[in-house]
Amino acid sequence: MATLTRPDAPVRVTTPPRSKRWRYLPQYLAIAPFFVLFAVFGLYPVLYSLYLALQRWDGVGPMKFVGLGNFQFLVTDPVFWDSIGNTLVIWVMSTIPMTALALLIAVGLHSSIRFKGAFRIAYFLPNVTSIVAMSLVFGSIFSSEFGILNWLLGLVGIDPVQWLTDPWAIRGAISIMIVWRWVGYNAIIFLAGLQALPSDVYEAARVDGAGPVRTFFRITLPLLRPVLLFSVVMSAISGLQIFTESQILLGNRGGPDEAGMTMVLYFYNNAFVNSDFGYGAAIAWGIFVVVVLFAVLNWRLIQRPGFLKAGR
Amino acid sequence: MTLTRRSFLTAAGLSVAALGTAASCTSPTTANPGKLTLWYTSGGLADTVVADAGQRFGELYPSQVSGQLKQRLLAALAGEAYLPDITMLGDDIATYFADTAHFTDLRSLGADTVKDQYLPWKWRAGTSPDGFQLGFPIDVGPAALYYRHDLFAQAGFPSEPDDVAAAVPTWDAYFDFGRRLQEKLPGRHLITDTKTVYTYSMAQEPQKYFTRDNAYLGDAPQVRRAWDRALTAFRSGLTAGYAGSQDPGSSVERHAAWNSGKELSFVNASWIVGELKKSAPGTAGKWRVCRAPGGAGNQGGSFLAITKYCPRPDQAFDVVRWLLSPENQPRSYLEAGLFPTSPAAFTDPRLLAPEPFFGGQATMAVLGKAAREVKPAYFSPWDIAISDTFTDELANVELAGKDPGRAWDDARRSVERLLTRQGVL
Repeated sequence: MATLTRPDAPVRVTTPPRSKRWRYLPQYLAIAPFFVLFAVFGLYPVLYSLYLALQRWDGVGPMKFVGLGNFQFLVTDPVFWDSIGNTLVIWVMSTIPMTALALLIAVGLHSSIRFKGAFRIAYFLPNVTSIVAMSLVFGSIFSSEFGILNWLLGLVGIDPVQWLTDPWAIRGAISIMIVWRWVGYNAIIFLAGLQALPSDVYEAARVDGAGPVRTFFRITLPLLRPVLLFSVVMSAISGLQIFTESQILLGNRGGPDEAGMTMVLYFYNNAFVNSDFGYGAAIAWGIFVVVVLFAVLNWRLIQRPGFLKAGR
Repeated sequence: MTLTRRSFLTAAGLSVAALGTAASCTSPTTANPGKLTLWYTSGGLADTVVADAGQRFGELYPSQVSGQLKQRLLAALAGEAYLPDITMLGDDIATYFADTAHFTDLRSLGADTVKDQYLPWKWRAGTSPDGFQLGFPIDVGPAALYYRHDLFAQAGFPSEPDDVAAAVPTWDAYFDFGRRLQEKLPGRHLITDTKTVYTYSMAQEPQKYFTRDNAYLGDAPQVRRAWDRALTAFRSGLTAGYAGSQDPGSSVERHAAWNSGKELSFVNASWIVGELKKSAPGTAGKWRVCRAPGGAGNQGGSFLAITKYCPRPDQAFDVVRWLLSPENQPRSYLEAGLFPTSPAAFTDPRLLAPEPFFGGQATMAVLGKAAREVKPAYFSPWDIAISDTFTDELANVELAGKDPGRAWDDARRSVERLLTRQGVL
């Protein structure tokens, strides 16, 4: 509302509503790139995949609305349930040995040895190596008759393992590849955790006459708990997405007994191999539900009173 | 004009907006406007022939797409932008039959005038059920029996191609032959795995899983027959059962078995030869080829198609016709192992020359005959998925010890579920 003001009245600076709205434009523009990119490459595909999950579509022709049909198939699809089981089994089979091994390596690297830097790089290298190239190499390593692994097992008198045909050996082989890839990464994380631990606790333990093993289990491990938790959460995130190892080692269909069929591989197989994009989107949402359940589980675990407090 | 923050931001905003509109206006329908873009996979066409075509047809823009050609094509078709003018389609050409609206009917470009120069069954495989000529044949994969001449002879068995072919006219005769040969040469195998028996048995059948009007044949006798043959081979201990590779044919184990002589023979389409020569060069001269047990069959083979977005389809068709002409096919076969689709090429002197790798045998005589004898069959859009389901279950029996009866039931159930979901059943 325009009001008449006396000429001698002090000039009051008022911002009209329009310019008020635009006053923060530069700030909004400054933060816009992320939101624009997220909307285009994040939000839109997510919403579109939900729409796609309600359709039958071969990727070329017209879409056909099938309602919840794809989801109805999903919950009764034995292969999908198997793929959840496989993913979880492979995750457990890889995470436990990997964490133990990474701890050992971290403690080793933490002690005063020579060429520390070189060792750290060496252990971290697998994490940045092309996973496709490595899967091809592992394909030869795991070869049941001509592979180096069975040859080594033979040297110590163990019968050859059918790495790529026996269902449990397949899961083992994939787990070994995951351990190989992530052990160095986690060892570096643990090492950082170790270096942050206060030295006075260790001095006190030494004064009290605790040996190295006792110190490790009674002091190092409890103090490292937050770091351990971080590594388990990280491995859960990557573990639920296991794909490349299976795909390169066993092909799109997960090998005999579909032992290597993980959730993401099943999704890939349906969407991009069979061009069944509607069902593929439904599987993707199935995976989303599994991941949410996992996240809730993780969250509950962390929220438990006193979980993060070290057991001193 | 002085540069203030406001004017700078306005200018920046405007130029971004301008860029956006400009991009959306110029996004071309075909990948290289003014040129004829040709998409093909590596090894899908012979490189020197493509290069010659580039010289001959100045506007040709060949673009080699890696193994993901199909995904790129689907994305381009869905977006109707950056499309190729000419594209390669694989042996899953039937999956495009429902979407022929995106392509040009080759009949409208005069394809019928050259039709007679090509294998009729292959030509027909590129025709949709309603008669739309979608694909122009690049290559075929006639199946044959590859075997180790030296080891067959060493065991005192028939070893010359004609004699072996006469000894194993049917799959049963082949299994019997295998059992007797394995007694002489223990620890060796005559059959790669149950999958090859199933696949090549089905390849010989004139009827696959669907009728031409896309009616599912269900419990068809030919499927059961192929399944039982695979099981018989497995139960008789004839299969080696290699596994563990993206395409099971190229597994490390199998290559090693070729080199060590543990794989005495195998039935395969002609495209295996390149791999055989590359992975087992030490066995040169020891292999021979003869007619496959059970008769002629085909496995694999690709096509070229012209999209409807191509502004100059006549020129595109000239390129296709030249690339795949009967005169150029022998070159493609010699260079890239692309087996000719034109029978005229079978009698080309270059292809009838003795091959040192096969001990001087001219394999074209065997393979060309097989290619001519293949029975025309209809492949539905779901055939590959169905076949994979059956061979997966066979692998479960062979490698994971699954009960064959349960495997058969599971395979049938999976196929029915798949077809129900796709709205076919």
